[in-house]
Amino acid sequence: MSSDKKSIQFLIGGLILIALSVVGLFVGSEADPSRPFIGWLLGISFWLSILIGMLFLVMIWWMFDSGWSVIVRRQLEHAISAFPYLAIIFLPLILLSLFSSDGGQVPWIWMNSEAIVPGGHGTVAEDSLYVAKSGFLSQSFFVVRYVIYFCVWSGLAYFFRKWSFNMDKTGDHVNVHRSRKLAAVGLFLCAFATTFAAFDWFKTLNYHWFSTMYGVWFFAACMRAALSATVLSLFYLATREDRLKGIVKPVHFYMIGCLMLAFTVFWAYISFSQYFLIYNANIPEETFWYNMREMNHDGSKNSWWWVSLGLVFFHFFVPFIYLLWYKNKFVMRIRVVAIWILVFHLLDLYWNIVPQELATDSHGGYTVRQFGVHFVDITMLLGVGGVVIWAFLKSAAKERPIPIRDPRIEESINCHE
Amino acid sequence: MSKQYGYLALFESAPAVYHAAQSVREAGFKKWDVLTPFPIHGLDGAMGIKRSKVPVFTLCGGVIGFITGMLTAWYMGQFDYPLIVGGMPFFSPIFPFPVAYELTILLAAFGTLGGMFITNRLPMHYHPVMNYDKFRHLTDDKFAVVIEAEDELFSETETREFLESLHPVEIAVISDEEDE
Repeated sequence: MSSDKKSIQFLIGGLILIALSVVGLFVGSEADPSRPFIGWLLGISFWLSILIGMLFLVMIWWMFDSGWSVIVRRQLEHAISAFPYLAIIFLPLILLSLFSSDGGQVPWIWMNSEAIVPGGHGTVAEDSLYVAKSGFLSQSFFVVRYVIYFCVWSGLAYFFRKWSFNMDKTGDHVNVHRSRKLAAVGLFLCAFATTFAAFDWFKTLNYHWFSTMYGVWFFAACMRAALSATVLSLFYLATREDRLKGIVKPVHFYMIGCLMLAFTVFWAYISFSQYFLIYNANIPEETFWYNMREMNHDGSKNSWWWVSLGLVFFHFFVPFIYLLWYKNKFVMRIRVVAIWILVFHLLDLYWNIVPQELATDSHGGYTVRQFGVHFVDITMLLGVGGVVIWAFLKSAAKERPIPIRDPRIEESINCHE
Repeated sequence: MSKQYGYLALFESAPAVYHAAQSVREAGFKKWDVLTPFPIHGLDGAMGIKRSKVPVFTLCGGVIGFITGMLTAWYMGQFDYPLIVGGMPFFSPIFPFPVAYELTILLAAFGTLGGMFITNRLPMHYHPVMNYDKFRHLTDDKFAVVIEAEDELFSETETREFLESLHPVEIAVISDEEDE
């Protein structure tokens, strides 16, 4: 009963904070009315990226019939029950784009045909780059895609959860075979949904830009966030007598630590490759995206320059060197790096979502929206977090802590290096 | 000429040799080894072996590779023959990154391979245990603990008695004789 009470507290706290965020939406400055909505997007994206990474992990483990991960998989199955709630929390952004797209508040500037885009030769409607991309960048199609993404994520999560919990009750192996088959298809579906969601919600904030690696960047970021969140939740559960105390072993953390190292390198590889190709090609349609993350219109360095360097050294270099050491993949040490990665993952999302060229006149003049933490950023981060944790605890209270009838459960419990 | 290399105690099963290894470690021997036909999980822990030193070689190889890649680009582009290509600077850490990255991986791999050879003292074409008449069984269905005569705690009578207390199938004297 007490755990039920606790989870309800998270839900109530989360809803209060989200309600506060709604109030915060109306306090945007005149020069930058869309900033609070960017904060809304940011708060959801942080938790969504964790859940997407977890969904990928579940499917990858099914796909490869992985043995060590079975007891970890159950915890992720609890977490991914939160997808439908995130879809609901996302709704205000969708409604805004449908009913108030010309008000200047909507984060995606291409929805406002009257808006003046720096480097765009006039308004959005007159912009040849918008006209060329207008087949994809239409509001109705945007909403349809939003529905498709959340249907894919929620649907996959629904079936993996259902079959895994059924396996506990009936022990019928058909549940396992179904999960493995769905994982094979689901990996493709989820990869497409994640890629295009990153295009829709982050990349089209600057719709002039071109980058084919962007979806892969988001995938890499999701995996890092999910693995770090998994480590932290396992630590919490491993202290609980009625959960995983005595079941989770150091070796499970070691395995996750190895994956964390691999995806740290992968994230750096993708992020650098994207920069490297654009740097070498040196085409204005592509370089402007990096330019605004380094300097102002007049060429002086802006706040994003320091954030960029921070990502290179603290989101890649420090975790990379740290995780190379065998001993750092256990107990307290891996918890430290998990928190570290989550903090810089959030900074990475800031760096990708927040910078924007804000037109100051109709002749291409602009100021860059600088790095800064808005009221809505904080309330949404905590609020959505409350809802996700509530969904996790609710599912965890209802189902068994480990999949007792999974064919590989023994292998997972007796896992060794 | 032949001299004694050490004693070999033969065991029939993996658990038997595992527990024997624990006893030998607790007795404080330093120069000894266990021979098994297949890897036994946890045996390195039972023997008290520390983690391998190979990662140090890997890291050194990787760092040398990265520096080599960057230095090559700097030497050719900035120092030896400065040439403007595509309006880029003569040297920047960005464009030679793929070269440095590939060399990091290549030399890290070489370091790993070389480190494995060095720490295992390979190649080793001869080992005194090969003189044991049942040596082939050690690659098939038997297990053995070998204590070297060079160990400080070694004594011909006491070590033999100690090994007998572990209840091996047999104890053999291994002699080090290289055919001329």
